[in-house]
Amino acid sequence: MRGYIGVDVGSVSTNVVAIDDEGNVIDKVYLRTQGQPIKVVQEGLRAIAAKCSDIEIAGAGTTGSGRRLASVIVGADCVKNEITAHAVAASHVVPGVQTVLEIGGQDSKIIILRNGVVIDFAMNTVCAAGTGSFLDHQATRLNIPIEQFGDLALKAEVPVRIAGRCAVFAESDMIHKQQMGHRIEDIVCGLCEALVRNYLNNVGKGKDILPPIVFQGGVAANAGMKRAFEKALGETVIVPEHYNVMGAIGAAILAAEEVKRRGTGTLFRGFDVVDEEFEARSFECKGCPNRCEVINIIRDGDTIARWGDRCGKWEAL
Amino acid sequence: MGVTVGVPRALLYYLYYPMWHTFFEELGAGVVVSKATNKRILDLGVKATVDEACLPVKVFHGHVLDLAEDGDVDFIFIPRIVSTERRAYICPKFMGLPDMVRNNIRPLPPILDTCIDLSKGDAGYWRAIFDLGRQLGARPSRVRKAYNLAVSRLKEFDRALEAGRLPDEAMHSMGLETGIVTGTGTRGAGAGSPAPQNGLPQDSLLRGGRAEAEAAAGGDGDGLSIAVLGHPYNTYDNYISMSIIPRLRDMGVRVVTAEMIPEEITEAASQRLRKRLFWTLGRRLLGAALHFIENGGIDGCLYVSSFGCGPDSLVGELIERRVKREGAFPFMMVTIDEQTGEAGVVTRLEAFVDMIRRGRAV
Repeated sequence: MRGYIGVDVGSVSTNVVAIDDEGNVIDKVYLRTQGQPIKVVQEGLRAIAAKCSDIEIAGAGTTGSGRRLASVIVGADCVKNEITAHAVAASHVVPGVQTVLEIGGQDSKIIILRNGVVIDFAMNTVCAAGTGSFLDHQATRLNIPIEQFGDLALKAEVPVRIAGRCAVFAESDMIHKQQMGHRIEDIVCGLCEALVRNYLNNVGKGKDILPPIVFQGGVAANAGMKRAFEKALGETVIVPEHYNVMGAIGAAILAAEEVKRRGTGTLFRGFDVVDEEFEARSFECKGCPNRCEVINIIRDGDTIARWGDRCGKWEAL
Repeated sequence: MGVTVGVPRALLYYLYYPMWHTFFEELGAGVVVSKATNKRILDLGVKATVDEACLPVKVFHGHVLDLAEDGDVDFIFIPRIVSTERRAYICPKFMGLPDMVRNNIRPLPPILDTCIDLSKGDAGYWRAIFDLGRQLGARPSRVRKAYNLAVSRLKEFDRALEAGRLPDEAMHSMGLETGIVTGTGTRGAGAGSPAPQNGLPQDSLLRGGRAEAEAAAGGDGDGLSIAVLGHPYNTYDNYISMSIIPRLRDMGVRVVTAEMIPEEITEAASQRLRKRLFWTLGRRLLGAALHFIENGGIDGCLYVSSFGCGPDSLVGELIERRVKREGAFPFMMVTIDEQTGEAGVVTRLEAFVDMIRRGRAV
């Protein structure tokens, strides 16, 4: 059997999936990036390899903010931005999807599709108030495991109104409501509604949000957020089964497309990469006042990639 | 005379430099341009400027400091440009520019300052030009001659832009060596090294004016054309725009800007608006957008806006609404600020180009 690997290295989580020729998920891994993307990508591949012993890997793709780094580790056939990857995955899972709401660790995006084609998209600009990192932070502060956050929100009776415009104001608003004696469920639910309001005003501004609507990304695990979206939009919101690894699924599908288009073999370096020594070293280039921070990616003592310079003089090895 | 005039490579430099250069040179002065914007220039500018100023104004201050530090200039040219046509204005920050610089930066070489205000007609215009010449010790007859030549050079420059060249390329084609790319310090090395796969903005500029302009004019690959609209000092400054234009070209996209559309056309198109826009630069952008909406010729449009820009908050919005209402072509607003992380801009650009390409393939 043939399979394709997709790797999505995000700010908060790193996801690795293996899919078959039909795009069905064979196995998936969701890991926290924890500031160590190289190690986590290797860890993810190791976990996937265990399930793929009798599968021939015919292609690999990477996406997410660490897509370039991941691509040199795994040997990617396709390195794509996360908008394209998420859109491709959503159309695969829910054919005819017209709106994709995606909320990840540090950014959130909306993708508008018509007839299977992306026609518009937006990402959060200067504000991360509605993203997963903020929810994470609030959950920690309230001493609630993030996994229970959403279910708690569903128990709310009278959601309190929280300012969603800014993470700092939202936090002080929450503290205020909590000191006033509001129930924690109502506060948590109010927070979900505030984040949705902020998302729709900011990221979704001026967008024509039509069903079917798919909600994906790590935050889609939060049932409170799903319900808040449904309440605000007046539409059913679909959370796909593999909502938290959709980027990786998209990367794998794109890799399969690319390998077929190109007609040559895959660049995937095999599961042995999990045991290789990778190291990243950086230095400040003093060639000009830009003082670019240049990163060297070293595999078993050899520099295999270099980036970070604006002028490109270090990029050629 | 032997004096040297320093010109900050910022703000209206991108629209008027050939004119200023010719004028000063004809009056016997040497002309020095500050380096291409780099991290140091941005940092200096941010430190010297009041916080609420917009990014391009901060960058301007950085360029003034760059010229002042070099110590080779006798004057720094900072005109007070209020208006360049009847009943329309340049952003108010330009009105106060010489004062802002004088109060924010000390010590400073003397500022060559003159007030250009054509909003109520050109009555005082020649006096302003003569006044500028007098500060360099030139007689009116010589000033008039220099000015006329300068205007003809400006027209030449505008034609070069209309032929699809970027300002740097156009200046290069006119033989105006502006010492471009000194910012990287790799002028020689960059040109000699093998061309990397992508993200080599400076190299694209090095090739500028020649093969680049031709390739750009003709387009290559699948002939995708994207309009990059925005104030010229944002779109053409590769440091603060994170090289949006060179990056698009590296992706095989033909880039069109508002300056490449003749002014008569953008002006006529802008009249479709119910009320005449009183910002000169904004009207050009709006006119270009309306022209594209009506006549096509592009596959998508990017609007580069700097965070906190007053005119952009209206002009950008106006364009976005028009484009969306007519369903003319994909549109994306890119906001730039002091951040140096390129990931956000790169992801958006890639996704935008992908969206258009994948849409076409279906």
